[in-house]
Amino acid sequence: MRFKSLMLIKPYCLAAILVILYVGNAFSQSDAIPDTENCLLCHRYPSMGRFDKKGIKRIFYINDKKFANSVHGNLRCKSCHVGLDEIPHTDIKKVDCSTKCHVKEPSTNKEFSHINMIEKYQASVHGKGNKAKPISFPEDLPTCKDCHNNSMYIPFSGMWGKSEALSNETLGRCFGCHPEKQWAKKFYSHFTQRMRRRRSPVEIIVLCTRCHEDSEKMARHGLETVDTYKDTFHWAQVKFGVENAPDCISCHAPVGYTTHDIRPRTDAISPINPANRVKTCSNQGGLQTCHPGATAGFAGGRVHAYGVKAQMVAGKEIADTENLDMSLVRKRAESDISAQEAFYYTILEYIRLFYKVLIGGTIGFMCLHQFLAYRSGRRKHGKTG
Amino acid sequence: MSNKDLNPEVSAHNSAGPETGKRYFIRLNLSERLQHFILFACFIVLAVTGFMVMLPEVVAQAFGGASETVFFYRGILHRIAGIILISVGMYHFLYLLFTRAGRRWLIDMLPRPRDLKDMIFNMFYYLGFKKEPPEFDRFSYKQKFEYVALIAGSIIMSATGLLLWTEYKWSKFILDIATLVHGMEAILACLAIMIWHLFEVYLLPRKSSISKTWITGLIDEDEMKDEFAAQYKKIMDDPALQKIYIHGEDPADQKAKTPLEVKITDLARIH
Repeated sequence: MRFKSLMLIKPYCLAAILVILYVGNAFSQSDAIPDTENCLLCHRYPSMGRFDKKGIKRIFYINDKKFANSVHGNLRCKSCHVGLDEIPHTDIKKVDCSTKCHVKEPSTNKEFSHINMIEKYQASVHGKGNKAKPISFPEDLPTCKDCHNNSMYIPFSGMWGKSEALSNETLGRCFGCHPEKQWAKKFYSHFTQRMRRRRSPVEIIVLCTRCHEDSEKMARHGLETVDTYKDTFHWAQVKFGVENAPDCISCHAPVGYTTHDIRPRTDAISPINPANRVKTCSNQGGLQTCHPGATAGFAGGRVHAYGVKAQMVAGKEIADTENLDMSLVRKRAESDISAQEAFYYTILEYIRLFYKVLIGGTIGFMCLHQFLAYRSGRRKHGKTG
Repeated sequence: MSNKDLNPEVSAHNSAGPETGKRYFIRLNLSERLQHFILFACFIVLAVTGFMVMLPEVVAQAFGGASETVFFYRGILHRIAGIILISVGMYHFLYLLFTRAGRRWLIDMLPRPRDLKDMIFNMFYYLGFKKEPPEFDRFSYKQKFEYVALIAGSIIMSATGLLLWTEYKWSKFILDIATLVHGMEAILACLAIMIWHLFEVYLLPRKSSISKTWITGLIDEDEMKDEFAAQYKKIMDDPALQKIYIHGEDPADQKAKTPLEVKITDLARIH
């Protein structure tokens, strides 16, 4: 009897499992691009990877569904990974983001590549230089992948809504005219991805300070570390997670600038050039109008607290260590820090010293006085007073 | 509750009350108590919301999703408390000039060469070189020192706070000085309040409790003899001063209750 009922149930179970598998498979495949190069034959296995010559673990697994939802999800593998014609891959080349990736750029209808951004980047303070303008220690400078990964599209949320529902409703309207749903979704995601900052202010600080708080790396380029930023009120807002709080790019690439085109203070078009500071501090037209009434006097000052360079120019001896050659910093300090700034730094140091002595002296006297008062009170009134 | 409240000897002493003939002296009138109460509330709000800026990153982010809201209200509260504190300071200035009690306060609070002598002799007494402490008038050198520090600190904190509030108008150098001074002065003020004032009024062993003076405005006769002997003698020799400083001497105080059971409503009691 029991066996018979099982026999009856079995076809339904089987049918249900098949339906689930089919639907699941169909659903999972709906967003994934076709693997025309058959790379997933091997790369679909999560355990695929190896340790490279430096002992670093390299993972070669590709989650096709996640990849399809990434910013590069509409590209074929070989669009970026040029070569790879042999198996195992012995002809591997490093990914070059300036490669034309066989996607038409809709505004010009030409083949797309990131070459525009790379050219700007190379001309920026982070560029590796060229034969005409060589840069020492080019290996220290960040490459595309130091800041970028193949990031995922995430549902847009903003002033009109806080959930995926916003994307669903908006896309519903798009699908009316654009029946190719996958295309419409990609287009929508591509656009909305740029309507917000990809990284929070804290993430930006973490990213930039990976290099800019490395004293050895900075000293090689004649720079001081930026840890004095953390003495500012800007940082206080960032650490409390305030939206649009002033992080590195708020001042070094404000509205109208791009992070790929960060330039030194001496460059006339830099937002931190003294001539452009009022505009930068007021950030008119940006999401956050930071100091709308900023005066030239306010904007002309040093935003980061004074660091090693000011100390050097003010006459403080900063000794080299075994791993830290400060000679270039010392040389650059003379041109970077004016006599007036060194004077300001000295005044601030005297005020700091005055308060240290005042606090130490006053509180020390108070402690001694109250200790004696307590001892005397106990003698007179007993232990409990 | 202070350790004095737990002391049965002290409680018995306190509970003697007016019926045993003990006098109570007025130390702070209603206006002074209210000024003190507002100052004390503002000081705590300013200290908490001010030092929050200096919290380490890990602690700042421990508020989770509420961090931004916490930071927003921190700034609002700091400014509100700052404005109230400045207003109380200005009121106090007018109080000193335009009220009789204020003028008495100002005259009694003015530093005199005698204060330096008192301090040295008092230290000798603490060290056991003298048998009796100096006889203090209405305000001892400790209170004068604290009062002058409070006035100076409030002016410095208010000025630098207002500079930081209107930051875009000033040069960065002025703001750097204001930031440094505001922070350092805050550290000095908080440490001084804890070590000097709170220790003085709550933790020092003494004959009886004065921990409720900030609410009732009164201290008992024993405390008066012990702590402000010179003022006590002056009052007892002068009927005009008795009318001002002895609780119940003024006809307006006749209906005043005994200060033994202190309630928050006692703040409204008029001396």
